[in-house]
Amino acid sequence: MPVADVKRDLPSNRMIFDARRDPAKYTNFAENFETLMEQYGLSEEERQAFWDIDIKRLGELGVHPYFLPQVSRLFHGGAYNHNNSPSAQAYGKSVVEGKGKTR
Amino acid sequence: MADIVFATGLSHAPGLTGWLDQAPEHEQKSLTEGFNRLGELLRASKPDVIVGIANDHVLNMPLDDLHDFCVGTAESWSGPAEWFRDWVNVEPYTVRGASAIARKLFEGLGARGFDTTSKSDLLFDDNWSVPLKYLTPDYDIPLVPIHMNCVVPPVPSPQHCYAFGLALKEIVETELPDGLRVAVMGTGGLSHDPGGPRYFDVDEAFDRWFLALLEQGDPERVLRECTMEKMVAAGDGGTSELIAWIAAMGAVGTRPAKTICYEPSVALRCGMGCVYWEMEKETANV
Repeated sequence: MPVADVKRDLPSNRMIFDARRDPAKYTNFAENFETLMEQYGLSEEERQAFWDIDIKRLGELGVHPYFLPQVSRLFHGGAYNHNNSPSAQAYGKSVVEGKGKTR
Repeated sequence: MADIVFATGLSHAPGLTGWLDQAPEHEQKSLTEGFNRLGELLRASKPDVIVGIANDHVLNMPLDDLHDFCVGTAESWSGPAEWFRDWVNVEPYTVRGASAIARKLFEGLGARGFDTTSKSDLLFDDNWSVPLKYLTPDYDIPLVPIHMNCVVPPVPSPQHCYAFGLALKEIVETELPDGLRVAVMGTGGLSHDPGGPRYFDVDEAFDRWFLALLEQGDPERVLRECTMEKMVAAGDGGTSELIAWIAAMGAVGTRPAKTICYEPSVALRCGMGCVYWEMEKETANV
């Protein structure tokens, strides 16, 4: 999933772009993302990847790579984001170890 | 004419403020002392304004409305944007902008053919929050932030970014008020791969090669050898932020960069370092 393969018009990319900018969207994201997915018109494949917190799959579907660790932070929080933090670990498990689903 | 009195290239990865205590002690010491030293040098040059150039991180320019560059024209800036606040671990701050200068830069760059937009409501993440914390801890030097597209194809080439820096220098020297002292700050890099498989990896060989290349003071060689492909190979999602340093280099000329510090910090998930160029001495080739 190199940067060159990003799908600019993918609904997930529009959703994540906005989610980081708007408290109404990033607050309690892990509980509220279902509503957002509906609002942005995500495909079934995209929705399944979010339900599974499958960061690797989101990359394969065309989510911008720069957004992928941010997806992990939207679910797991971004404070004190060292290599053993929950969000870095989830990213590592899904993408670096290649296990995909983290839920 | 106005003058560029200081120029720097530096990393801004959030670990430097967010989880530095997780890095080995020698890295903490080297980076803290190095970035503080860079701040001392910057402030000693007594700039009236800092013109910063950094990755937008796809935060303000959406994927379907991209520009190569975006000049921030507000009179005042606040950061970090709320969602990034606990991540960068930087207390909320306000720094003055310089809207008249920003508009001159925006108009001058557009007139010279650069794909430039402007915004007065930019959100700041680590791109400015980390450098400002070290370089201007009192937030007392006005900032003109120029966000750029470093990570969404098509990304402006190193050659184009260098030409951007040359144009910036020309505008500073011909269109900004006499006696104005300008510092240029290109920030991003060094090697890192946010969003890629090398998330927990750093390309130390690339980083040391790049820093040594800048120390030669030969922009043509930098442009010949530091290709986008080479940067992407050293970390697809982040290393290309070094085009912000190359833009700064365009405003510098043939001066050699001086490296203050470098650490291949796996704990911070980024090759971390900073360089500066001495601007108030004439170059050998001028």
